[in-house]
Amino acid sequence: MTTSPRRVWWKTAVGLVLTGLMLFPVYWMINVSFTRDQDMRASPPHLFPTNGTLDGYRAVLDQQLPYLGTSFLVGLGTVALTVALAAPAGYALAKLRPPGGPALSFLLLIAQMIPGIIMAMGFYAIYLTLGVLNTLPGLILADTTLAVPFAVLIFTAFMSGIPDELLQAAVVDGAGRLRTFWSIVLPVSRNSIVTVSLFAFLWSWSDFIFASTLAGGGDHQPITLGIYHYIGNNNQQWNAIMATAVVASIPAAVLLILAQRYVSMGVTAGAVKD
Amino acid sequence: MTPTTRISTTTRGHGGAAEAAPPGPPAPRTRRPGRWLAWGFLAPTVVYLLAFYAYPLYRNVELSLREYTVRSFVQGGAPFAGLDNYRTVLADPAFWPTLAHTLIFTGASLVFQFSIGMALALFFRQHFPLSGTLRALILVPWLLPLIVSASTWSWLLNSDSGLVNAALGVVGIDPVNWLTSPTWSLTSVIIANIWIGIPFNLVVLYSGLQAIPVEVYEASALDGATGWQRFWSITFPLLRPVSAITLLLGLIYTLKVFDIIWIMTRGGPTGSSATLATWSYRLGFGNLLPEFGPGAAVGNLLIVMALVAGLVYIRSQRRQHLR
Amino acid sequence: MTRPNRRRRLAAVAVLALAAVTASACSSSSGDSDDGGGGAYLVWDPYPQFADDSDWVALLKKCGTSAGVTVERTGYDTTDLTNKALLAAQQSNSPDVLIVDNPVISTLAEAGALTTTEENKLDVSSMAANLLGAGQSAGKTYGVPIGANTLALYYNKDLLTAAGVDPASVKDWTSLTAALTKVKAKGKKGITFSAIGTEEGSFQFLPWFWGSGAQLTSLDSPQAVSALSLWTDWLKQGYAPNSVINNTQTTSWQEFATGDFAFAENGTWQLANAEKLGFSYGTIAIPASAGGPAPAPTGGEFVSIPVQKKTGRYATSQKLVTCLTSADNLLTTDTTLSYVAPVAAVQDRQATENPKLKVWVEAVRAAKGRTGDNLGTKYPKISEPLWTAVQAALSGGKSPQEALTAAQASATSK
Repeated sequence: MTTSPRRVWWKTAVGLVLTGLMLFPVYWMINVSFTRDQDMRASPPHLFPTNGTLDGYRAVLDQQLPYLGTSFLVGLGTVALTVALAAPAGYALAKLRPPGGPALSFLLLIAQMIPGIIMAMGFYAIYLTLGVLNTLPGLILADTTLAVPFAVLIFTAFMSGIPDELLQAAVVDGAGRLRTFWSIVLPVSRNSIVTVSLFAFLWSWSDFIFASTLAGGGDHQPITLGIYHYIGNNNQQWNAIMATAVVASIPAAVLLILAQRYVSMGVTAGAVKD
Repeated sequence: MTPTTRISTTTRGHGGAAEAAPPGPPAPRTRRPGRWLAWGFLAPTVVYLLAFYAYPLYRNVELSLREYTVRSFVQGGAPFAGLDNYRTVLADPAFWPTLAHTLIFTGASLVFQFSIGMALALFFRQHFPLSGTLRALILVPWLLPLIVSASTWSWLLNSDSGLVNAALGVVGIDPVNWLTSPTWSLTSVIIANIWIGIPFNLVVLYSGLQAIPVEVYEASALDGATGWQRFWSITFPLLRPVSAITLLLGLIYTLKVFDIIWIMTRGGPTGSSATLATWSYRLGFGNLLPEFGPGAAVGNLLIVMALVAGLVYIRSQRRQHLR
Repeated sequence: MTRPNRRRRLAAVAVLALAAVTASACSSSSGDSDDGGGGAYLVWDPYPQFADDSDWVALLKKCGTSAGVTVERTGYDTTDLTNKALLAAQQSNSPDVLIVDNPVISTLAEAGALTTTEENKLDVSSMAANLLGAGQSAGKTYGVPIGANTLALYYNKDLLTAAGVDPASVKDWTSLTAALTKVKAKGKKGITFSAIGTEEGSFQFLPWFWGSGAQLTSLDSPQAVSALSLWTDWLKQGYAPNSVINNTQTTSWQEFATGDFAFAENGTWQLANAEKLGFSYGTIAIPASAGGPAPAPTGGEFVSIPVQKKTGRYATSQKLVTCLTSADNLLTTDTTLSYVAPVAAVQDRQATENPKLKVWVEAVRAAKGRTGDNLGTKYPKISEPLWTAVQAALSGGKSPQEALTAAQASATSK
């Protein structure tokens, strides 16, 4: 893949255009977040927020910061729980081949099919009885369902690629299954752990249906619910809604770019280890 | 670079989804006790599955087999109705059009999400300045709550004040009633859904591409293969397992998409963009007087569709192994 | 649901086992909603826009203090609240006081989830009869209205003056359409409303439907067809934008706010936003076909007391509801919500304090409950075919006559 510098910059230009196209709706969201109510339905639409307003952002900064914190905690909790549940399961399915394993994989696939609203109603009924509505652990448990089946599938896929000789050697050394898993499988799978974590975090970050069913109105509301402050019974404040979405996506976007770096770093680190 | 660890991850990874396929040469069998010990590793997930997926699923099946009214929903004692709710749903004049919309929505979304995702993955695979950052940025649509991205799309596609029609007007094309005409509403929600699905396809396909060893390409470059030939003869076949799992997951996620359609068109006008998922929601929740039974029945039909797709996937994987 | 309790317990045990493992890390559990008796009283309302420091929450707290209890309040999105209330009732875990949108009352009453005002000795004698109607079923009343809103026509004064239209001349459908023609001739847009495929669409269509003399029991009457034809023709003539088919009441208001529209059908709740418009506005009642104001549907919420296992809690709940619906508090609440009070005396006070509310007080007095006329839970089965018909006719799929014939057939088959 040796190309002349000019060719490379040409590619960057195409990349910029493609990214621009994909992100145009995001730009539009930003545009609306600055738009005054009376210009929202202007025809033809304003390409730039001329006569822009900061009302939306003022509302968000006044009211939304605590929700960002909750979203972070829930996201981290979801990542931890997802990896804790799915990594051992992936290892077992990929390497230990238990009886009934394929059936379980199939069930996991089907589990993802249950519509979110039905899952949410099930959780609601359980949580109401247990009294864990509107709590952080409750929301984390629920958000984890978004990622666990996917995570098990991904871990299984990734871990079945670990050379058996590597594990065999450990067993010969007298390491138990648990030790093997902990000190060999996990470190080698760092890359897939990052991928799964990223997915788990993003899903929990953008989850709306569980949050609104299970945490709506409590003290622990994530940022997606913050939006509801601007959706009244008969009325919606669109610039504030879009401003919330913009503010909410900034930390997540930063995280995404950092994770991207880490993924490529993890790749080389893993390769060096072998 | 010795990419052994990561390569096998995705290229051979398909086996894990449905069956524990031996990677490469048949591995020595693990000792018997290990097999049962495996369930120790699986136990947390199994408990979790039972606790959190089984109950909602059971509930949904139960709802669909009884004749629920709001009263019996709260007070209990709904009579067992067998498959009556399913019969009601199948006999509804809305059923066949809705099924057709579901298939078109899912099919078109998958084809475009996948091919655009693949094209972008191939493009970003070539390392050029900013490629990593731009690739990360393309994932941003994913971070947005659906209520926001779907509302933005309905904004852009608005008949009178939407940017798309304004742009068409500049080129001299008459405005299209994207969201409000029965001919266009389904297309509009498909466009929005494709946009939302591209990042997922990009991520998974990209990591699949990463796993293809550079040596393979170098060998073919010596043979004088062109880029296009290389794609069809090397990349695509090697990527097949990843593609299969991407498409299967995409199918499952697309079948149950409801928020985007609901926010953009409410499945209308007159059901022209309704899918089974929005129909199920409308029956169960979109009305002042919920019809739980038929709503749950439609939801279960969707689950059955995904089940069939899963079985087809497993069979095709198995056949590939025999080959 | 044969043995719901045992099954629930089993599920609960499984969850607890798991929760115990995970929860030990983060041990905050402030949202403990299940208390034995006394202490905190739960109130659910559909006003998520009000934060904890709002007047509304302050009022709830004050009423709690004077009843000797603490109030724990949760604001839910209104579309969510019906399902939540039904589920909570199913799990015997309802809040002590529930505030819901008026057409939902009949559904919850049908489900047996609400107590009657008679059982709890709530005084509803001062409430306006046309508002109370939405909360009544088979001679029993299931809640107390906390405030009402309804629809009228907002108009853009500047635009009408420029087009040479006197708003006072708009008295019936003919004069309204004539006004729209004049506005269109000026290159501006006529009217915007919301005809979306949800309850909101029916709500907005009803003033025209009732104004034609049609009845909800017969959706395909010639009067009904004339109402739908009025809307359809406006779209065909370009007096109303095509986007109305997808407009919520908010998006339709945003269209009006651009200043390009002469009229907008919208509700009392937009009054605060109307003051922020970049032009001067006025309001008139929605005209009936043959003149005079058309009956508009009533909107607004009811305060109700859901059924509890611990019947001892009712006495305190009753105090809370009485406090919330007392004349002085109604005035505060309805001012913050920009609603019209359900009590005649308070309505008069509102109109004197804010003369702009006078039109609205009159509109509310002329308004009609959707679930009234003894329709109750039959209303949703009529409303859905109705909004579907409106959508079919406006999007050009069917003629108004065909659409309404199909709607009537579908309403009677359910």
